[in-house]
Amino acid sequence: MLAEDYSHQFFDDESQHSLESHQSKKNTLLKSHGRPPWYGENGLPICDAFVIGIAGGSASGKTHVARQIVRSLGSVPTVVILSQDSFYKRHTAEEVALAHANRFDFDHPDAIDMPMFAACLADLKACQQTNIPVYSFAEHQRLDEAKYLYGAAIIITEGIMALHHPDLRSLYDLKVFVQCDSDLMLARRIQRDVKERGRSVDGVIEQYLRYVKPAFDNFVLPTARHADIVVPGSNNAVAIDLITTHIRRQMTERARHFRKHMVSQSVGCCLNTSDGNPVSKNLIVLPQTPQLKGIYTILRDGASNRQDFIFFVDRLATFLIEKAMEHLPHRPKTVTTPIGIDCTGKELDVKNICGVSIIRSGGPLTKGLQRVLSDVAIGSLLVQSDANTGEPLLLHVMLPKCLRERHLAVDAWVFLLDAQIGTAASAFMAIRTLLDHGVQQDHIIFVTFLIARTGGVTVLQRAFPEVKIVTGAVDEGLREAWLEHYNEKGEGQSEGEGRRVWIVEPGMGQIGDRYYL
Amino acid sequence: MAASTAPTSQTHPASLPPSVFTLPQTAQLEALYTIIRDRTTSRGDFLFYSDRIIRLLVEESLNHLPVVPKIVQTPTGATYQGVGFEGKICGVSILRAGEAMEAGLREVCRSVRIGKILIQRDEETALPKLFYSKLPEDIASRYVLLLDPMLATGGSAMKAVEVLQEQGVPEERIIFINLIAAPEGLKRFCGRFPSLRVITGWIDQCLNEKSYIIPGLGDFGERRYCE
Repeated sequence: MLAEDYSHQFFDDESQHSLESHQSKKNTLLKSHGRPPWYGENGLPICDAFVIGIAGGSASGKTHVARQIVRSLGSVPTVVILSQDSFYKRHTAEEVALAHANRFDFDHPDAIDMPMFAACLADLKACQQTNIPVYSFAEHQRLDEAKYLYGAAIIITEGIMALHHPDLRSLYDLKVFVQCDSDLMLARRIQRDVKERGRSVDGVIEQYLRYVKPAFDNFVLPTARHADIVVPGSNNAVAIDLITTHIRRQMTERARHFRKHMVSQSVGCCLNTSDGNPVSKNLIVLPQTPQLKGIYTILRDGASNRQDFIFFVDRLATFLIEKAMEHLPHRPKTVTTPIGIDCTGKELDVKNICGVSIIRSGGPLTKGLQRVLSDVAIGSLLVQSDANTGEPLLLHVMLPKCLRERHLAVDAWVFLLDAQIGTAASAFMAIRTLLDHGVQQDHIIFVTFLIARTGGVTVLQRAFPEVKIVTGAVDEGLREAWLEHYNEKGEGQSEGEGRRVWIVEPGMGQIGDRYYL
Repeated sequence: MAASTAPTSQTHPASLPPSVFTLPQTAQLEALYTIIRDRTTSRGDFLFYSDRIIRLLVEESLNHLPVVPKIVQTPTGATYQGVGFEGKICGVSILRAGEAMEAGLREVCRSVRIGKILIQRDEETALPKLFYSKLPEDIASRYVLLLDPMLATGGSAMKAVEVLQEQGVPEERIIFINLIAAPEGLKRFCGRFPSLRVITGWIDQCLNEKSYIIPGLGDFGERRYCE
């Protein structure tokens, strides 16, 4: 099976030993330093992802160019390299038989599922999730599974037909054609096929003449005229430098310094919770009962011991989730009781329900959620603030299955969990992430212990007025502070130094630290 | 003093005695009751969903306990004008169904002391009779959360309160926590002990000729422990 091959999947700058690893290598997700905000204060995405299409003959050096671009970009946000190979059509039984006999023309544009290719790319460009089909070269067939992708700031697609279809071309911000002499491409092919796939020179040449060369002449080479830049297939360092300079400039223009703006904008909002009544209809503050006040007193008390803190956080989390659950829709249902009487009551009227916890302080609320919905799926997001700029960075997205696919996400209800809303920077990013996945704004219920009245909650509510926020307390202040030797390691953190933080006052201190450490 | 602060969930209709407090009658609460009333509900689900209601009942009942002002210093150095819990509490479950509420009680009130009372119908007199009781020694100085999931005629609940009173617990320091109550039983019970507070989750239609609560949920203890 490993000897099976198609012309256009050969070229890579490293030797390949199996087609599977070859395939997985061509679709690459490269993470670097987290994703800065991609949206404005109005909650809407500021810009699309930057999309680059790279076409060129088979073995011309497309993948090499793509990798060189990524390499020379250096410290960049998330990049996806997408290979055209993923988008081969689902084949009929006859086509599969032909393919096994090396008599199926994989170099023809018709072999590619262009509508799906364009749809996936359009999703990614619009900062939405997508599910890329997985094609097995061993089975010559598209598999039932799909690969979930979300959150790339730069997308590079490469393939011989990358510039062929107008729908694809309209999505690119930059179109690249890798130009290489035919004899050089053939030489590379023969060398690689014979050495790595154990094929005969005759066989390689036959396939080249039957499929590869005609496809190149008829479909690939003509697309060069669509390219913004034609890059030589070898000795192309200067061209790659030009390209990366262009991309960097584009990205810088798109970047925003976001967090400070949110805080300064938010002062002077008008929550009124003295009587426990929410002012904004979607900000729900729990009734300030004696028990609730007592619990908050224990949690706020710096002298409370760890056991008490954990116990009362868990108790409060469970209660908050119960209250948040009241905002889910219900429909009538009739049941029969054990003594044989029909009784009309209600049942939850939701298709999918899940939790998404913002690491780490969302953790205690996760426990509360599980006490209320024992089998609920719970995803997580990691948002950290950049130590230098204070900007939030999205470092990790792991969402439940019902959010990964758009058609499920539009019906899903999500409990978004975080211990407090101070600057609201991470809440903002988390909500934007859910909306990007197709979740409806009024299907998001943000559950939190504490909100800073003068913090970012106003901006958050202005941007996402339909998101419900359920909290147990609203505090007065938010102030900037400097934590010395903040012991946290990870992206965006400079080790051993202090760290600028925003503190809710009077607050509960660092809730995550008090609960976990 | 703060015990007099009106608990927020008070939604009792005019016909109810003033000492009866129900949970907010939300769609979600109704949905929980629908699950536990359904005879096709598995024992596991019955346990899980009845525990959710019990936790809410306990949370609500604790609002009837006194608190005192308390000022604390937060880890950020700010001061906070809060409240502290005042007075000791204990639970007392009326066996056997009341025992089912103990886990929920302890989820909210960690390591709370729990006494037990077993009351059964005397077959000869048809009156409730005390078979067994084991209570904390200092119960007279505590607030008592009396646990019984179903209040039908109110007979055993009244007997249990008598037992507590014999131990020196004043009526006003007893809070009766209950999942489903029949209006007839509530009226009798509260008429007899007007200063005792009743926290109930749902008030059903009536009792039938066999004194079963309608629509009810069957035998709570049976469904929780045996089915």
